[in-house]
Order: sequence, then structure tokens, then C-alpha cells
Amino acid sequence: MTGIIHSLRAALRYRDYKPRPLTLLAAKRWAMQFEKNDRRLAERLLDNVIYISESKTREILVYQNAALMKRLLAAGLKPKQFIYVQVHDAGSSSPVMLNLLRDAAGLERMGCKFLDAHDSMRLIKTMNEIGEGALIYVDDFLGTGKQFCGERDSVANIMVGTFSEFLLAPSICEEAFYEISKRGLEAFTGHVHSKAERPLHANSPLFVQAEKERMELICKGINKGGALGYKGLATMVILYRNAPNTVPAVLRGSLNQTPFKGIFPRTTDLPVQKVL
Amino acid sequence: MPNLNPTKPDVPQLIPAGLLLQLSIDDVKPSFNNPRHLFDPDQLDELKKNIAEHGVLVPIVVYQAKGQSKFSILDGERRFRCVRELVKEGRVGKDGEPLKLPANVVEPPTKIAGLLYMFNIHNYREGWELMPTALSLKIVMEDLGTEDNKALAKLTGLSDAQIERCKKLLKFPEKFQELSLDPNPKTRIPSNFWIEALPVIDLAMEKSETIKRMGRDLATVKLVEKYRDKRIKSVIHFRRVMESYEINEDDLPTREKVLRRVEEFFLKPNLETRDAFDEFVVDKKRVLSALAACEGFLSELQRFRLMYTSNDEERKSLQIALRQVQAYCESLWNALEGRDDPEVQQDRP
Repeated sequence: MTGIIHSLRAALRYRDYKPRPLTLLAAKRWAMQFEKNDRRLAERLLDNVIYISESKTREILVYQNAALMKRLLAAGLKPKQFIYVQVHDAGSSSPVMLNLLRDAAGLERMGCKFLDAHDSMRLIKTMNEIGEGALIYVDDFLGTGKQFCGERDSVANIMVGTFSEFLLAPSICEEAFYEISKRGLEAFTGHVHSKAERPLHANSPLFVQAEKERMELICKGINKGGALGYKGLATMVILYRNAPNTVPAVLRGSLNQTPFKGIFPRTTDLPVQKVL
Repeated sequence: MPNLNPTKPDVPQLIPAGLLLQLSIDDVKPSFNNPRHLFDPDQLDELKKNIAEHGVLVPIVVYQAKGQSKFSILDGERRFRCVRELVKEGRVGKDGEPLKLPANVVEPPTKIAGLLYMFNIHNYREGWELMPTALSLKIVMEDLGTEDNKALAKLTGLSDAQIERCKKLLKFPEKFQELSLDPNPKTRIPSNFWIEALPVIDLAMEKSETIKRMGRDLATVKLVEKYRDKRIKSVIHFRRVMESYEINEDDLPTREKVLRRVEEFFLKPNLETRDAFDEFVVDKKRVLSALAACEGFLSELQRFRLMYTSNDEERKSLQIALRQVQAYCESLWNALEGRDDPEVQQDRP
């Protein structure tokens, strides 16, 4: 009975997960893959998921952006001096977040500028034209922060003029904060994901050692190389658009969802639909 | 436009804000240009020891960009790094608090002042891609209204050669310049590609009607594609094209052949640079080197004015050596009688 209630609660909480919306049946099917003794552990792990829905994502971005704008306007800058920068490739999370923020906060009407970190020539021209202002990078989630910082460093190499730099993201891991702060960037975020919040992380008190080991063993059975996610971060933040690659394998499932079906498969974990 | 005097740059200078602050490490944002060359580990270690003993004696120079709570470094990146490391190691000041950085605060630099500062940093950079420097130089040239190398060198600290190289890069349309700004080093076209390709494109545009009809942009695209397909294995190989043309200045039939090969080089995607031009350069170079060796050998021998020797043993050794030279020269003479390469199989029996 508790299992059904648990599955029902999960289905209600995570129903807008985009890659594959969670149904009661899917939640139940996920739990039933575990042996009876492990099921409770898996459910406890699921209870620790920090889910950021689409509305929450929008709310965080708009709120944090408003706080940032307030500061920039008080410093004497005008919205037309704000350059919002998307990082990573087209179609990835960053452009989606920027699009969400742009429309929700009406940034276009204010005269803000939007650029791609890879479009170096336009960045140089725009910075040259404005001379002074703020560069605001927008992303969804930072794990180690290295990927984002790599992109940011490329922009820094071509910087023209005097620009303050900020990062807007719904959630950032504490590991990424180290990388960001090394560069002196200021982050505006709704959630800092600490190691303590991640039951399978070595520094977390949420699971006892035996529970961690058992769950890690199950994860290894699903994905030997990436049991606890990229760099073993074992993060628990799930964004409505996609799960980061830093989450434990029990949440994502196997590649193509066979043999183990995940509860939050990433888009790249799902089998490719045959169109022809 | 301001009339620029190289000896007295007419550019905005840094304006002190009149503040000397004691900043904690967390208040400081490192320089975004990150001049790696400045951070020689040994030198940094020496400075760190010094700071650990005496503290930071010379204040760093910082400014606060609008809206930013941290102070950006204009001068003193090494001192900042040393203090950051010392703080990380748990070192404290005389007051028992974490070490602080004395900092002179200046007004945020104007665009041009910032750019000029950046140029001076980049002079020390290792492996710095030239294209961003060239584009910044363009901004300086446009804003200050000068293209004079001496004036630009004075302002930027760049050498005359560096400025010339930048100017070459700026001759290419933006769509090509962008290829050197690609953040991915694997797909980025190095700035040197354009510098080395420029004379080849100029030559082809001037001498080949076909390439002229093709247009400069398309001709450039052909070379980029060739480079990406590894048919130009090194940008230095472009020099062989120019050498092939220049070395045959007095040999018009070969020069015509070189020009036909240049045309082919643009039109045939699979034709590799060395395969295309080595025959003009390598053979010619070998002949020229052999001629120089002959002249050198003769003049050296003549310089000794050696007509006799009373030492029988030495005479014998010299005669043997001369006989060897004679034998080699005769075999070379005979080999040069034929016009075909003996290592290439002939069609005829």
C-alpha cells in the first residue's frame, strides 16, 4: 500500500518531466524493478529528488533576473547595455532557459541584447558598440562547472570594453561555485545544490554507508562507468526539461531504457523513435 | 578624428578614484585575459615567499565595473595569485586576520584604455591566437583614426611585424575571420593560415583568369576546405607555392608551369601542397645548393695556394682525397648527361 502511495505521489510531483512524463504506472514499474529489500531504499532516494518544474524554473529565473537588474540599474546601467549570453550548442538547455527568461521577463522590449557565446564576431561588435555594460550568462544547471567555465573563458578572451559578468541559473552545484568564484563571476541562482543533499555522495549524511554501497552497486549494474553520474557527483536535481548527466544511474536507467527503465531518463537515454 | 602623435599618445589614461583599500581575496575578480606567461611557477614561488615574509608592499590596481560587487584587477594579477594561495594555506597577517591585498582603486577604464591595457598583457601571452588581437587593433585604428604602424606600435606595445600580421588578417572578410574565433580548437582555423594563404590568393587572383572569375571569396573557401581535408598539412607549406613562383623568376617556361599548378591547386580538392609544388622547389633548391657548394669548394681550395708539399705521407693523403673528389665529380657529370630522373621508371624500354 505504501508503495502505491509513493508511486502516486511521484507521478503527481514529476508529471511534467518533458523527456518522458511520469505516470502512476511508470512510477510503479520503476519501483518494482528493485528487489523487495532495496525498494524502500530506492523510494527514499526518490524522496530526495529536488525537482524543478517548468513553472518553478520560470519563477526562479525571473526573480533572480529582477534582483540582478535592480542592482545593475542602480549602478547606472541601462537595459540596452545588458547582453544575455547563451552558452553551449543550439538546442541545448542554455538557449531554452534564455528563451524562457526573455519571454517571461519581457527582456526584448526593454532593449536587452541576446547573443550566442559561440558567435564571437557579434559579441565583439556588440561589446565594442556598447563599450560598458553587463554580460549575463544563462544556463539551467551547473554540475562541475567546467563546461560552462570553458565557454565563459572563450568569451573572456575576446572581451572588449568594461563589462561586469554574471551567471543566471536555476540550480548550481557547490562544486561549480568553486570554478565560478575562481573567475570572479557572480551567480544568481535559486538553489545551491550541496553535497549534503545528495544521499549517495560520500559527504552526505542522508544514507548510512551500507545503504550508499548497496545503491551504488545497483547503479553499477545499470551503468558501470557512470554509476553515480558524471564525475561521481551523484546530484539529485532534476529539471523539467531533462535530467543532468550527474544523477545516479538508477534514476536515469539504462541506455535505450533496456534492461533497466529509469524514472528520469535523459533524452539521450531514450530509444530513437523510428520515423521511417 | 584625433591626429595621433606616436610620441604622445592621445588616448584616455586610467583615472585614479583616490581610494586605497585593503581587499580580501573574495573581493577581487582575476583579470579575464589571464596572461599565462606571467605565471612562471618559479617566479611566482619567489614572489609568494616574499609576500609571506613582508606582505604586499606595492598595491595592486583595481576597478569596479558597474553593478559588480567585486573589484577587477588591472595590474597585480601575480600578487593576487600569491595572496590567494597563501590564504588557502591558512596564512594570516600580523593582525591574525586572513591576508589582505592593498589596492589602489581607479575608475573603470574606457574601452580604448582597456584595449590598450589588454594589448600590453597579450604581449606576454603564450600561444595567443592573433585574430582577437587583430580585431581589437581594428577597433583601436577606427577609434583613434590611425593606421600608422609606428603610432600603433607605440600605443599597443605590439611590434611592427605583429601589426603587419594583424593587418593581413583584417584584409579577410569577417566570415573568414570568424573561423579563427571558433572556441573549439579542433575546428578553429589558425590565424597563421590566413597570413600564409594571403600571398597565394593574391598571386592566383593576379595571374589566373580562372581563379579571378571564381572570385576571391570562393578561392579562399577552396583553400579552407583543403586545409580541413588535410590536403594542406601545414600552413607553412603555402610558402612552397610562393617559393616555386619566385625561385623561377628567370625561367619563364617553369614559371608558367607553376602558375598552371597554382590554378590546379585551387581547383583540385585532392591535390596536396607538397605533392603539387615540391618538384619546383626541391629540385631547384638542390641545384642552387650544389652550385653554391662548387663555388665554395673552389674558392676554399684556391685560398690555400697549395702547389707542393715536402711531406710524402701528406701528399699521398691529399692525392687520394682529390682523386675521390674527381671520381665523384665525374660520376655526377655523367649522371647529369641524361635529362630524366633515373629513379623514375621510364615508359620506354
